[in-house]
Amino acid sequence: MDWIDPILAAARPILVSGIVLASLYALMATGLALVWNTLGIFNFAHGVFMTLGAYVAWQVADGRGFGWGLSAGIGISVAVMAGLGVVLNRLLISPFLGRKDIVLVAVMTTLAGAFFLENSTLLIWGPRIKQLDRIVTGNIKIMGSAISMHELVIIILAPLVLVGLWAFLKWTRVGSAIRAVAQNRDSALLLGINVKATYSLAFAISAGLAGGAGVLLGAIRFITPTMGTEPLLKAFIVVILGGLGSFVGTIVSAYLIGFMEAFSTYFIGAYWTQAAMFGLFIVVLVALPRGLMGRE
Amino acid sequence: MMPKTSTLLWIATLAALVVLPLVNDSSYVRHVAIVALLYASLVSSWNLTLGFAGVFNFGHMAFFALGAYAAAILTQTFGLSPWLGMVAAIATSVIASVIVCLPVLRLKGIYVVLVTFAFGQLCYQVILNQRDITGGTFGIVSIPPLKIAGYSFAANTNIGYYYFALILLVASTVYVAKLVKSDFGRTVMALRDNETYAISRGVASAKIRLMIFMASAIFPGAVGGLYSFYVRAASPDLFGFSLITLGLSMLLVGGIGTVWGPLVGAATLTILSELMADLGPGRYLVIATMIVLVLRFLPGGLVSAGDIIARALGAKTPGVLAPRRAPPDRATSRDTPTG
Repeated sequence: MDWIDPILAAARPILVSGIVLASLYALMATGLALVWNTLGIFNFAHGVFMTLGAYVAWQVADGRGFGWGLSAGIGISVAVMAGLGVVLNRLLISPFLGRKDIVLVAVMTTLAGAFFLENSTLLIWGPRIKQLDRIVTGNIKIMGSAISMHELVIIILAPLVLVGLWAFLKWTRVGSAIRAVAQNRDSALLLGINVKATYSLAFAISAGLAGGAGVLLGAIRFITPTMGTEPLLKAFIVVILGGLGSFVGTIVSAYLIGFMEAFSTYFIGAYWTQAAMFGLFIVVLVALPRGLMGRE
Repeated sequence: MMPKTSTLLWIATLAALVVLPLVNDSSYVRHVAIVALLYASLVSSWNLTLGFAGVFNFGHMAFFALGAYAAAILTQTFGLSPWLGMVAAIATSVIASVIVCLPVLRLKGIYVVLVTFAFGQLCYQVILNQRDITGGTFGIVSIPPLKIAGYSFAANTNIGYYYFALILLVASTVYVAKLVKSDFGRTVMALRDNETYAISRGVASAKIRLMIFMASAIFPGAVGGLYSFYVRAASPDLFGFSLITLGLSMLLVGGIGTVWGPLVGAATLTILSELMADLGPGRYLVIATMIVLVLRFLPGGLVSAGDIIARALGAKTPGVLAPRRAPPDRATSRDTPTG
């Protein structure tokens, strides 16, 4: 059984990096999916929320910024992003609601928004790359392979946040209102739900999640004005594979994609993996447009 | 009969463009003019799928980038003549359009955006991946210039490239104008405006879509080839988000689904962006704001502004810049999502 040893040896790092990636994708993709389900639009500015979240946290936390410490950075960043989500919804989506070409207009307005914010970060923070401190320093050994404590935090935190979000959507009145709007806007309106407020809330949650993901990623990778692009594209793939309209599908698919990416990066290299991801994306869109668990 | 004011205006513009290099040989003005001309043919051909066919094709810039790479690889690496490189660029672009179109035939709305966009990203990743052929993230540099009988197009402050770009633009404009007036063009627009009815009247929807994709891919290929010979480099940035956004904003600001709109948009945005060069990234903030404002308050783009002003002045004739067909809004109104 000699042949199995290298695979076993490879399995552990793959598992670890896969689960870290997957956790971040899940945070990004659920936000994207939440907005898609509730408002029926695809937010191309979602990746920039992530970038901006990392920058705001850096500004607040880092000694070269305000230097208020990392926890303040995280808290303020998520709050600022949530607020920005509401503002963007107000400026880029609300004015166009009701137009029958809203889906495609929204692609363009959110692309313009992303363009705006990306260049704003370049103006404000300059092109020099930055990095956030890790939430917890040090390493820990799990199943015989070393993993940084920060990554462990990501692995644990992401599912907790997602379960929290799921519980919020499932059991609170406001959460039910969001789901009601997602399922049937008109009857939600008839029931007296404030649809516009629901839209703002969905956008706020979505942007807050992306900002949080940005903070987590900003300590592993460098913060650059374009750092959100790749996670945004991954979030597209995750949401489509999971199936539009399915919360659980999105999360399952995030972990699936995360592991697939880690696995194939190990065996066929990073560049081919990215190409394969987009190939897979196109195949899923054509052959399985409802994704794994999407509803009709 | 007096020729129409709009015809006169376009002839005057063309004449000015022909004379421009003879009266001004500043290399800066020349460069901006060439870029504007290239953008104009690029987005006016994009308009065929996005505007006239109403198919949300986000892969057009990838056709252009692939054309640039095809020309670059064949001439720089394999030493082919640049003119053959131009032909190869067009062929590559058209082949790419067929590949993109096949999955698109089955999809609608946002799914078309995502598939065509993913295609561009797929090409981008493959180009990064094939470092030996494409130069990876560095791209390809020192591409040979275009020449006719030993005369380099780069001589006399790129005057050859200027006129070639102008010829390309005139050709693409005439091509688009003729195409949309032809039976084929009408069929394409019928499919956009009422797909079910068009199909019931015997329009072969898949075949027409495929044809309009191929028809739209000729000029991005040519522009891609010319571009890589002009700047003498092909870089993976050509697949980026910003180029797509810039191209889209030219279409939208100028007026999507009209023959002249993309030209107005390309000229306006290229010149505006140069005038604001001192602002650095700040100019993109202005452009982004412009896109949203135009979408909000002038859905027909700048060309529809002429019409609105004319109407406000109480003129009976249609506005100077007014498109004769395709009222605003119509271009983007098809393809509502099914998801």
